[in-house]
Amino acid sequence: MKFTSRPAAALICLSLAAVTVTGCSEEASSGNTAADAGKCEPSEVKLVGQVRNESNPYEAAWLAGGDTFAKSVGLSQERLTYGGDSTKQQEQISQVLAGNTKCLVLNVLPNGDSDTTPIVKGADKAGAYLVTQWNKPADLKPADYDKWLSHITYNGVESGQQIGDALATAIGGSGGIIALQGVLDTAAAKDRYAGLEASLKKNTGMKLLDQQAANFSRAEALAVTKTLLTKHGDKIKGIWAANDDMALGALEALQQAGRAGKVAVVGIDAVPDALTAIKNGSMTATVSSDGPWQGGIGLAIGYCVATGELKVADIAAENRAFFAEQFLISKDNVGDFLQPKTDPADFKCANVFNRVAGSLS
Amino acid sequence: MSWRDAGPPAALVVIFVVFAALSSQFRSIDNVQNIMDAAAVLAVVTCGITFVLMMGSIDLSAAGVMGASALTVSLLVANNRNDNDLGILAIGVAVLVGAGFGCVSGLALVFLKVPSFMATLGVSAVGLGVATLMFAGVQPNISDAMLKSWAIERFLGFSHLTWIAAACLVVGWLIQRYTRLGRYAFAIGGAEEVLTLSGVRVQPYKIAVFTLAGAFYGLGGVMVTSQLGAGLVQAGDGYDFSAITAAVVGGTLLTGGRGGVLHSAVGVLLVVVLTNGLVQVGVSPYWQGGVQGLIVVAAVAAAVIPQRRRNQVVK
Repeated sequence: MKFTSRPAAALICLSLAAVTVTGCSEEASSGNTAADAGKCEPSEVKLVGQVRNESNPYEAAWLAGGDTFAKSVGLSQERLTYGGDSTKQQEQISQVLAGNTKCLVLNVLPNGDSDTTPIVKGADKAGAYLVTQWNKPADLKPADYDKWLSHITYNGVESGQQIGDALATAIGGSGGIIALQGVLDTAAAKDRYAGLEASLKKNTGMKLLDQQAANFSRAEALAVTKTLLTKHGDKIKGIWAANDDMALGALEALQQAGRAGKVAVVGIDAVPDALTAIKNGSMTATVSSDGPWQGGIGLAIGYCVATGELKVADIAAENRAFFAEQFLISKDNVGDFLQPKTDPADFKCANVFNRVAGSLS
Repeated sequence: MSWRDAGPPAALVVIFVVFAALSSQFRSIDNVQNIMDAAAVLAVVTCGITFVLMMGSIDLSAAGVMGASALTVSLLVANNRNDNDLGILAIGVAVLVGAGFGCVSGLALVFLKVPSFMATLGVSAVGLGVATLMFAGVQPNISDAMLKSWAIERFLGFSHLTWIAAACLVVGWLIQRYTRLGRYAFAIGGAEEVLTLSGVRVQPYKIAVFTLAGAFYGLGGVMVTSQLGAGLVQAGDGYDFSAITAAVVGGTLLTGGRGGVLHSAVGVLLVVVLTNGLVQVGVSPYWQGGVQGLIVVAAVAAAVIPQRRRNQVVK
C-alpha cells in the first residue's frame, strides 16, 4: 500500500507521536504509584486549579484565591480553564496526569456530575491528590479512594431558603413575588428552588405569582422579567432569582419598566456587581460561597496531605465530602465582602476543615 | 412578495390572535411594546445573518462577534474599569470590530476555502477569546448616559433600541433591494455558476456580505450592552441559532437565493411573540422549551410547503 496524500502522512506522524508520548507517560505514572505517599518537600508540590472559564467574576476570583494560597507557600498555581467543555476538561486532566504526578495537587471544578468519575479514577491511578467541588454523582464517595481527599459542595436548599426569607422580610411579610429559575435540569437549580418552596411554606404571606426559567443568564432574565412585569404589574413586590446574574438582569428590567427601587430583588453567588447593588440599596440580599476560599482550600488540603502535615487516615469521615459554610449578605454586612479576599489562617493545615457545615450523605 | 411568501405572516397573525384570545395581558399595549423591545436585538442580528443565508452560506459567528463588540464598547464608553469616555465614537469602533471579524470569516471562506460553517464557528471562538481577554476578570459596567438611555428612554411608546432595529431593517432592505451587493448576494445563492460564467467576480461580494453581517452583529453586541448595563462575554449567547431560526421561520431558505430582510423580520416577530405568549398564557417553564420547538417546526413546515422542491438542504 502506498500513501501518496500528505494528510495521510501527517496523520500517521501525529499518531506515532501520540503513541510515543503515551508510552512515556504510562512509564512515568506507574513509577509514581509505587512512591511513598505524603513525603513531598514543600517545594516539590505542583498546584493545579481547574475551572470552566475566566470570563465570569466568580471563577476568576476562584483562581485568584488559588494564586494567593500558592504564593503563601512559595509556589505558583497552574491555571486551567476548559470553557465548559467536558471533553476538553478530560483532555486537560489527562495531560496534567501524564507528567510527574508524585506531588501533584488538583483542585477541580468538574463540568457536571458525570465528569467527576473519570477525573477521580485518573487521578487515583496516577497517584495525584485531588479535591473536587460542586459536582459529583451521589454514589461516588471520596472515602473509597486514597488520593481523592475531599469533595466540597454547598447546600442549595439552604441558600434558596435564606434569600427567600430575606425577601419575605424585605417586602414586609406579605405580597406577590416571582421566581427566576436556573437551568431546570441542574441540581443547583432544583435545590435552590426547593429552598424557595420551603421559605414560601414558612412565610405564608408571601405568594408566588409566577416562576420561569431564565437559565442563569442575565440577558434571559431581563427578557423574562419584562414579560412578567407586564403580566402581573404592580402585584409584584419581590423577585427571587436562583443566581446573581439573573438578579442583575431583573434589576435592569425594573429600571427599564420605571419600577427600580420599588421591587426587592435577591440572588445567590455574591458576584461583584450584586455586592455593589446591595451596597447602594437596589438589591436586597445574596449568598456567598466565597469563591476565593474555594480556589485556595482545595489546594491547601492537597498541599497539607502531600507534605505529610495531614494524614488521609486522620481526616474525619464527614470531612471527606461536606457542605461548606455559606454566608447571607445583606446591606448590614456587605462591607466585609466587597473586596474578594482570603484569610491565610483558613488555609493552615489545622483549619482546612473549619468551614464544614454538614456532612454530605 | 408573491403568494408563496404569505405563509409566515399568516402564521404570525394566527399565533398572535390565539395568544390574544387566551390572555388579556398578552393583548395589552404594555405587552406589545414589550414584544417590540424584546425583538430589537434579534432583529438586528437576523438582518445580518439573512444576507449570508441568502448567499447560501451559513454564519455561526454571531455569539463570538457580539461578545467581542460588547466588551469593546463597554470599555470605550464611560465605565468603571478605565477613564475612557468616547461616547458615540466607541459605538462606531465596536461596529467596526464586528465588521472586522465578519471580514475575517469572508477571507477564510474565499482564500483558504474553509467552508463557511467551520470558518464562522472558528471566528466565533476567536471572538469569545478576544472578549475574555478584554474582560480580564472584572465586569465593565457602563455609565455612559446615552448608551444606557437607549434601553430606557422611549419615543412614541417604543424604546430607542426598537427604533434602531427598525432603522437597521430599512437599511438592510435598501441594501438588499437597490445595491449591487444585495442583488449579487441573491444571485450567488440562486446560481453562483451562472454568475461566474457571465463574468462576475463573486469573491469580493462574498467577503463584503460577511463583513456587512459582522457589522450588524457588532451593533447587536452594543445593543445588548445597553440593555444589560454591562459588557458581558456571553452577550451573544444563543443569538446565532435564534437568528438562523428566525430567518428560516420567516422564509429565508438555507439553500440561499430566497427570502430577505423583510421575511426575516416576520420570522423574528414570530419567535419573540411565541416566547412571550407562552409565558403570558402561563405554560409551565418545564414545558415551554418543547412546546416552542414544536410550534417552530410546524411554522416552518407551513411556510415552506409551497416551496418544498426548493427546500433541499435536508433532502
